Amino acid sequence: MRELMRNVYLKDGTLVTKSRYGSHYGEKVFGGFREWIPWRSKLAAMILKGHRLKLRGDEKVLYLGAASGTTVSHLADIVDEGVIYAVEYAAKPFEKLLELARERNNIIPLLLDASKPWKYSGIVEKVDLIYQDIAQKNQIEILESNAEFFLKKGGEIVIMVKARSIDSTAEPEEVFESVLKKMREKFEIISHGTLMPYHRDHIFIHAASRRKAKTF
Amino acid sequence: MKYNLWFGVYDGKEVKLSENFEESFLKAENPSPLPFNVSELGMQVLGEDYYQILRKTALQVSEKQVERELRREDRYVVALVKALEEIDEAINMLSEKLMDIKAVKESDITESFESKIGELKELRREVEREIEEVMRKIAPNMTELVGAKIAAKILERAGSMERLVRLPASKIQVIGAEKSLYKAFARMRRGKKAKIPKHGIIFLHPFIRTLPKSKRGKMARFLAAKLAIAAKIDYFRGEVDESLYESIRKRYEELRRK
Repeated sequence: MRELMRNVYLKDGTLVTKSRYGSHYGEKVFGGFREWIPWRSKLAAMILKGHRLKLRGDEKVLYLGAASGTTVSHLADIVDEGVIYAVEYAAKPFEKLLELARERNNIIPLLLDASKPWKYSGIVEKVDLIYQDIAQKNQIEILESNAEFFLKKGGEIVIMVKARSIDSTAEPEEVFESVLKKMREKFEIISHGTLMPYHRDHIFIHAASRRKAKTF
Repeated sequence: MKYNLWFGVYDGKEVKLSENFEESFLKAENPSPLPFNVSELGMQVLGEDYYQILRKTALQVSEKQVERELRREDRYVVALVKALEEIDEAINMLSEKLMDIKAVKESDITESFESKIGELKELRREVEREIEEVMRKIAPNMTELVGAKIAAKILERAGSMERLVRLPASKIQVIGAEKSLYKAFARMRRGKKAKIPKHGIIFLHPFIRTLPKSKRGKMARFLAAKLAIAAKIDYFRGEVDESLYESIRKRYEELRRK
């Protein structure tokens, strides 16, 4: 068994998180670990592609596009001493997310529109990490406004970009180039890459807030 | 400066604690980023239990919201689609009468007709936008497959999401073509040859419309089968399954090539 990140291990070739909770989305549970399925969770795919996040476990996280909580459940295993503000706009998957939030004590569920951060500006604190997986055309604008409201100086960002939701007719590579360009204007890009073979035409981008404005 | 926080209102000096956290939670809006950290201030006021109280409040508020949203949204779409049809009807009728009047005499009244028709068209656009937004929320997979407009029309015919998920694919395929379907059934009962419709509302989808006639039935059958799955995922799980769209696109290209 190999430790990849805090509470994340590779156990006989299977990605798992250390967890004292039961199964949330049909994943296997064994001996204090929960299987983390890369086809279901883009963050799992990103880790299996060799990219790591430096997490201590007490981070405050703003999660945009929490859906039914598949990835949130594993992230909650990782930042077990932190807090996740999980924002989701659709009521149906949110029901499932609520079940998760009732079981864990480090998830704050918010049934709200992520494109309107001012609506939850008096609830969400300044965070160390913004995670975004919302597959919407204006997802970068949504990220920027949330970062402006909530990201700490030196805070980090992980976003998942689906080419087809940004522009369904353009070539994925072109879409990714333009997204990266937009991201570079506001953030410092740490790394990025594809999620093949787990998710087609998707990339992740790991970035950080700029500590100070560029000086020439 | 006054800041609306989930546990009360802060004027820069003191916090006026809310009497009802659920109420203040829903009103915790501020036009620009706060110059302080909510949790630090909150812990000064509420102490170590800050996160537990926040979590409890968030759970209570969202449990109520979810229940309300799920009960109402599909009926809202059904009502909007019905309204949209009536608006279309009104636009057509008024345009027709306008032509009749114009044919006889050009007068001031024709201008009022035109401006009223313009307003109705704007209303139609608004209703369409609203349908699109709600459909993306309550039926993301169906919307992904066929677009909000077609998905909403199918939902309207079915009556509600609950009823829609209980329809077989074969019914979804011909929904909207009931008249010709029952006409065909009636002929069959009398032992005559009958043409059973291949598609109803889903004919509006470009993947069916743009195929040659002989292949439309195959595509309609396939699309309806995927729609039936999409509706079930939307209703019971709510997450987007990207493989669905991919599969209908593949099938379409297969049929187009043959």
